[in-house]
Amino acid sequence: MLAALGAANPAAALEPNDPLEPVNRVVFGLNELVDVILLGPVSEAYGELPSPVRTGVRNVLDNLRAPVTFVNDLLQGEPDRAGTTFARFFINSTLGVFGLFDIASELGHQQHKEDFGQTLAVWGVVEGPFLMLPLLGPSTLRDLGGLAVDQLALDPWNTIAGGELQAARAGSEVIDTRYRLDPVIRDVRRNSLDPYATVRSAYAQRRAAEIRNGRPPVGRPAYQSIFEENGDDAE
Amino acid sequence: MTPSECGRRGRRRFLAASAAAALLLVRPRPGSSASAAAPAARFIDSLGQKVIAILRDERLDRQARLDRLTRIFDEATDLSLVARLVLGRYWREASEPQRKEYVALFRALVLKTMAERLDSYGGETYEIVGTQAVDDRDTIVSTRIARPGGTPIAVDWRIREQSGRLVLIDIVAEGVSMVVTQRSEVTEIAGRAGLDGLLEEMRRRLGRSA
Repeated sequence: MLAALGAANPAAALEPNDPLEPVNRVVFGLNELVDVILLGPVSEAYGELPSPVRTGVRNVLDNLRAPVTFVNDLLQGEPDRAGTTFARFFINSTLGVFGLFDIASELGHQQHKEDFGQTLAVWGVVEGPFLMLPLLGPSTLRDLGGLAVDQLALDPWNTIAGGELQAARAGSEVIDTRYRLDPVIRDVRRNSLDPYATVRSAYAQRRAAEIRNGRPPVGRPAYQSIFEENGDDAE
Repeated sequence: MTPSECGRRGRRRFLAASAAAALLLVRPRPGSSASAAAPAARFIDSLGQKVIAILRDERLDRQARLDRLTRIFDEATDLSLVARLVLGRYWREASEPQRKEYVALFRALVLKTMAERLDSYGGETYEIVGTQAVDDRDTIVSTRIARPGGTPIAVDWRIREQSGRLVLIDIVAEGVSMVVTQRSEVTEIAGRAGLDGLLEEMRRRLGRSA
């Protein structure tokens, strides 16, 4: 009876692909622990820095990220977006003093980010199972593969900069990202009935939106089907 | 509240006032489906203005402000309908008393969450950037919410026309839908612990015992 309902219900497509859930939940718990004792306090201290300093850090990190976005723009067949990324990198690395100032945005070149996980999605690769990675957080098999390609093959700084600089960059990236996510993290901890399920669902939805590049969601029958279910049977 | 939080509150008040001034400049752009969409855009605009008016009202203490935000939000939504949509197939399995209690707990949880979210206002301003009719009863109003010193976020509001009145039934922030997310939480718990387990968890969250 239940199985029949599930099959007939198009919203079944919203159900998570999470065969590793027991392991993922353990990793999630450990990540939460690391966050409470280490990342949270460090990001709070980081938040005490003057806002222009934090903005400068974010701008430099975003500028270092541009080559990866540029290659993925091209791999996704988006030459216009690749052009924007290239222009941003050129302007911000020069006029913006090694990326400290985001002059490009003021000149009308807005930032977007791409990664190889998104490129794989554009090429038609499905997400695969959901993964909760130690320290790195929510991902999928596809996005983990994408991350490996971005880091090992597409990011030029590994060969240009030394290991210590790259470690400093990775550390700053983690702390700045954690700081920016702080309101969301607090909200989830405070209001979610099941934070793990919230993070898993929000990750899937967010990635889908990023892959669409802000285009309107066409053919999301699973989402639409939720609202077609009628509450009328309540009466 | 720590001293720095108090300082932030003061700054928020100032920003709220400037945001309200900026709102006078907000003008909905023509929607893609003008006839059905224009009332939905006006509905969101009027909701936004009511919320801002409460946030900038200096005479209200925190509790009074939360109460008013709760009331405004409750009037703008049909939380019994949203509760049913969120529970999905488990709604059909639920008995009448379970449905009643679930809707009551869901309402209480959402109203508490939304009032707190609105109260954490930090000088955001919104702009209505488009409207799109989804089907013969639902319209999506797209807004861009600009944060001081942050990148703007895209928020879509799903409005349903229901017995001649408009109600808000979903909020989608940067592609993340509240209904979809809550549905994943609720079905996860109901799948593991059954409907009674879900109701128990909701009661616990609200600090209520059975």
